[in-house]
Amino acid sequence: MHELLLYGQVPLSRHEQVLKVLAGVAAMQPRRILQRHIIYKPDREPEEAGLNRPRGGTQTIAVKQTKQVGSKDLNYCQLIQQLSEDEFGNPSKGPPVHGGGAGAEAKWTLVFNDTPDTGDRGVLTRLSQNTDIISGDPHAYMVAARHQFVSEYYIEGHRFVHENVVILLHRVLHEPGVRSLATAPKDDLPAFSSLQPLDSSGGYILETKIRVQDLNHPAVLEAGVSELKRFQTQMKGCVELSEPERLALDTRVKYKPQTT
Amino acid sequence: MSGAGSTSSVALRPWPAPTKDVIPPYELHPLVDRLAIERGGGYLRPITEKSLQDQIDAGKCVEAEIVHGVEKSPKNDAPTRQERFDEIATTQQKMFASLNWAGFYASNALDLVAQLLSTDTARNLDASFTKGYKSMEVPKGSFGLHREPPPDTLDERDEQERRQEKEKKQQLVARGSRMEALEWSTNCFLKAASQLEGEVRRESTYWNEVISISEKGWPLQRFRREARNSPFAVRYGFPEASDHFKARGLAPLRMDKDGGIILDPALALKPKTLRVRLSDNGKDVGTSCLSAQGLSTDVAVEKSIQLARDSLFEEEIYHEMSLETRKLLAYGVELRNSVIQILVPGSNQGISSRKILIDCIPRDDDALGYQNQPDDWLAQNVAEALRLLLNHEHRMRLFRRSQLPLPLTQKKEARSSPPLLRTLIAILGHLNAVDSLQAYLFRLAGTLNSAGLTVSLHTTRETSWVRLTNMILESERKDLAAIDQLLEVFSKPFSGSATLSLPSSELQSEKITIATRTYIGPPSFGAEYKVTLPPSIISVLNISQDMAREFKFSSVDEVKSYLNWILSLDLSHSLIKQQYGRRATNMSKEPRVSIFDKDGKRGSYKDVAVHITDGRLSAAVVNNDPSGNVAAQHEFSWEGTTERRPFKDVLKSWLG
Repeated sequence: MHELLLYGQVPLSRHEQVLKVLAGVAAMQPRRILQRHIIYKPDREPEEAGLNRPRGGTQTIAVKQTKQVGSKDLNYCQLIQQLSEDEFGNPSKGPPVHGGGAGAEAKWTLVFNDTPDTGDRGVLTRLSQNTDIISGDPHAYMVAARHQFVSEYYIEGHRFVHENVVILLHRVLHEPGVRSLATAPKDDLPAFSSLQPLDSSGGYILETKIRVQDLNHPAVLEAGVSELKRFQTQMKGCVELSEPERLALDTRVKYKPQTT
Repeated sequence: MSGAGSTSSVALRPWPAPTKDVIPPYELHPLVDRLAIERGGGYLRPITEKSLQDQIDAGKCVEAEIVHGVEKSPKNDAPTRQERFDEIATTQQKMFASLNWAGFYASNALDLVAQLLSTDTARNLDASFTKGYKSMEVPKGSFGLHREPPPDTLDERDEQERRQEKEKKQQLVARGSRMEALEWSTNCFLKAASQLEGEVRRESTYWNEVISISEKGWPLQRFRREARNSPFAVRYGFPEASDHFKARGLAPLRMDKDGGIILDPALALKPKTLRVRLSDNGKDVGTSCLSAQGLSTDVAVEKSIQLARDSLFEEEIYHEMSLETRKLLAYGVELRNSVIQILVPGSNQGISSRKILIDCIPRDDDALGYQNQPDDWLAQNVAEALRLLLNHEHRMRLFRRSQLPLPLTQKKEARSSPPLLRTLIAILGHLNAVDSLQAYLFRLAGTLNSAGLTVSLHTTRETSWVRLTNMILESERKDLAAIDQLLEVFSKPFSGSATLSLPSSELQSEKITIATRTYIGPPSFGAEYKVTLPPSIISVLNISQDMAREFKFSSVDEVKSYLNWILSLDLSHSLIKQQYGRRATNMSKEPRVSIFDKDGKRGSYKDVAVHITDGRLSAAVVNNDPSGNVAAQHEFSWEGTTERRPFKDVLKSWLG
């Protein structure tokens, strides 16, 4: 399905106030969200762009031009694990991958976000696919699907739902220190106090999102876009929501020329 | 002039001037003017010496005439006439002189005034100056005006006294008016002070009450009207109520003259409450009573806020239920005279005459249950259940709202009304269905046990109600409160189960399972029984092994008759066959077995028919006459009382 997105920034000093304002707007208490995001990259290295097009002349008889298919992009994808406060710092009860019983929301989710679409709709649009993983070992699955572990980070924040808009006021935390040698996500989660915000000022990001099943129905799409824009004007004065730069959310794997 | 007639024309002419030979030129001008005026109307052209001479000749010279006339008149008139003429001449001259002087003075005065006014250059005063004055060309604005008392007053002392008196009078007047003004201002201050005190008292009572309301937990918000006497409003409605009721749930806190708070709109409508009545054949057998009031230590305002909230809640229940009745007409629910009437499913033929009547009446009515009728408890429970269900629905609305919304698609979601009446009817229907079935099963088991045939019976009224505590203990859903998880069970279909073992099976391993499923809506639209048969009976019934062994029935009577038939088939075809082995053959699908009886030389067949009706087991040996002539030779029946002969013994006694 597709997501329509708008982002805003909230400095640390205004976090409390914005949380209360959002609680009033959505008429519900904030729901605490703690997530661990694990980033995976496909094993296959991306090819240099433009390699598959023929260069120079040929000596063949002129034949019908076949369509040159550009090489498909490789994208980073993520595994998201829903956490709760007490899971931090405790030795895990076994590998943290076995899904429990049928909870309301699954523990592990495989998320694939495409590069946002071009176009001037006023909101950012991107294709996104979420797959809930009910049981099994997600990391083993990703390795078997020829992905390799890149890094992991944590997200802490609060979530509200206002009609069709999902509002997430969150910030990114990570464990400081060298981790480039890790090839698998950690089994034991670190203590919550040892995590530090990626943005050292401690500012928060406000993400507002509407999910649309299909972009082919213009009426539905228009309804979604106008609802998001209405929310944007409603929040004017409190938090400025704007469309970020499209390439900032680009998930493609870039070609790195081999240095010999 | 009595002498001259009135009609004769009198020509006034100046006294003949002394003739002079040489007329100086300055005397000639007025003469010429006079001439021009007298004769010829202003023009001198027709006057020539010749015309004048002609006129003299023609006798136009009146001078002589007058002289003649004077001379002709009698002499005694002449002196008077002469005197008169002199008189007239002198008076004429005097008049002329005085007129000239008057004109002179007047024009002087006018000149003076005009000169004084000429300081104001905007006025056009050229016409006010006389010609002579203008010729002097006095510059404009050169005259000024200053008023001062006439320098020569009569008496200096008098004037001073008058002045002093005037001053004294003025001082008195000034003092008097100052005193009056001061008094007036002190009065104003006193009035303002007392009013301020009153206001302060009012405001402090108001704010105390507002604080006490807020401390009790009622949410306050600013009211949009700028009126001074109602800056706040209390939101007493439930936050998740449906639209119309949410709008009504706001009451401005108005200050009355003592500072106490009046809730505006709540007073306009009488508080309402829900009333549930049970009636059998039109006669009331149970009524619900008033819901509990708050603590008596509350402030009057809080009591009225609570009353308002309760009344709004009851009205909301009634409103939602009356919307639901439209969809439930098929289940015997009607709305008549603003009373919701629900038919309670009964045990005899489905519909009994028992009804539940629900309406919303003003709280002050005395018609609420103090009469201690037999079924008050049921009515009260129904009322409490409805209130619980609406509360649960409010919480579920918040819960559903907080879930991640589905991605937008073209389908629009329809909002269904909260399942208040549906749950009530489902519970009543399910209990009725399960109880009636269980009663019959118990009776049947008793009968069979009394016939020496051991059967085991297990019944559950509703499978999930039994496990409620476990369900809550084991539940891992942290986002929904326990009470809501409990009440959620009631929105789902109910299913009860009963298992009866076949009498022919040893160890009671073959069981008939009857599942009762109730749901108001598709697919069952009420209560439904599903009978699952054990494998051993399948062969009896000649059903192939791979066909489904389940049968669905929609009423208890059908289940009863089916059970009767199955059990009798089982008894006859399985049990008796087991007992008599090769001697027993069954000829038909009826519960009848033919037993070969080696009576005499040629054995005869005796038919044993087993029949179960209405909880009564009867066995009979009938003639071997398949055409239906059932003259029974031996017959015995069991009814469930103890101390009867076992079934097998009876058969042995007949058949050996």
